[in-house]
Amino acid sequence: MCVDCGCGKSVPFGVKVLSVLAPGLLRSSAPAPASAAAVDAGVMTVVPAPLTPLTVQVHTSLLAKNDDAAGRNRAQFVQRGMLALNLVSSPGAGKTTLLSRTVDEFGREHRCAVVVGDLETDNDARRLHRPHVPVAQITTGSACHLDADMVARGVGALDLTGVRVMFIENVGNLVCPASFDLGEAVRVVLLSATEGEDKPLKYPPIFKSAHVVLLTKIDVAEVLGFDCRAAIENIRRVAPQATLIPLSSRSGEGMAVWYDYLRQRLLPR
Amino acid sequence: MHEVGIMESALALVQRHADERGASCVHRVVLRVGALSGVDPDSLRFAFEVVARGTRAEGATLVLDLVPTLVYCSSCRCEFAGDRGAIFTCPQCGDLCGEIRSGRELELSRIEMS
Repeated sequence: MCVDCGCGKSVPFGVKVLSVLAPGLLRSSAPAPASAAAVDAGVMTVVPAPLTPLTVQVHTSLLAKNDDAAGRNRAQFVQRGMLALNLVSSPGAGKTTLLSRTVDEFGREHRCAVVVGDLETDNDARRLHRPHVPVAQITTGSACHLDADMVARGVGALDLTGVRVMFIENVGNLVCPASFDLGEAVRVVLLSATEGEDKPLKYPPIFKSAHVVLLTKIDVAEVLGFDCRAAIENIRRVAPQATLIPLSSRSGEGMAVWYDYLRQRLLPR
Repeated sequence: MHEVGIMESALALVQRHADERGASCVHRVVLRVGALSGVDPDSLRFAFEVVARGTRAEGATLVLDLVPTLVYCSSCRCEFAGDRGAIFTCPQCGDLCGEIRSGRELELSRIEMS
């Protein structure tokens, strides 16, 4: 109630909005130090604004939050003796089919787990589900990539007993996942024979960040008129640092080379 | 595609620094953006306008310092600018090089406020 005239109108008591703190703080969860002090003392103190422009050198990574979470993931993977791989490609390049065959064959030899990201549905998790393979589906809603926090939640939901290899199947996207470290030891980029041979030239950041490039669906390359030699040449030129493995998850060609690569990268127990 | 999220992180940092110094108005925000950072400068500018609306940074100038790609050649032990397309060939020995020394930066470097 109004304390001045008894009119019955509700009025805010003892609160002033400081212009310096007003607009931005509406979004901030942290209370402003000045206003907290003012409440304690029962009086409002206004933070004096600097009269001359102030330049602050910051040099803080905009991905610092993600990088911190990725660091925690990486430490957890190493501590548990797990090789973590982040699989990235365009939608439809064959990540899930590759993993299905990999967990069926390589997964019989070394226990594997999968965290799979999509915008919607748990179709991929259901496709990958096996009695011997723990699988977690992350639905990102509208996010175009997985981030390290999402992966931590996915991994945290799994029974990791005896798991030696953690596959993280990223959201199908050749752009955004390049910027987001998930804590993986190995980044695997897939290019399929149903895409253009020049894709590495068009999307260099992701290919330049790859440890391994898998050229997939090579069993249908000829039918599609896909020039494997040109694609391989482009991959080698854009990503000379990467191990290149041409394979087909359907025919099985090249899969042994992929499994050999995984075996070489396993962490000692 | 994720430039809005990146810009939200940048402006959260800006707000925090403005709070710490009691600044009521942000005049200029300077970001360092690497050529291989995977973000698009035009999308960042668009995101800044949208995200800064209603904050102390509304109307501030966004400056993007573009960081060129620097590549290392392990054969010649030299660094060279990798700014011509996607293929980095050492200008001395002609080797293809994949070791990126800079160009992935994505950071808030400076804020001007009062």
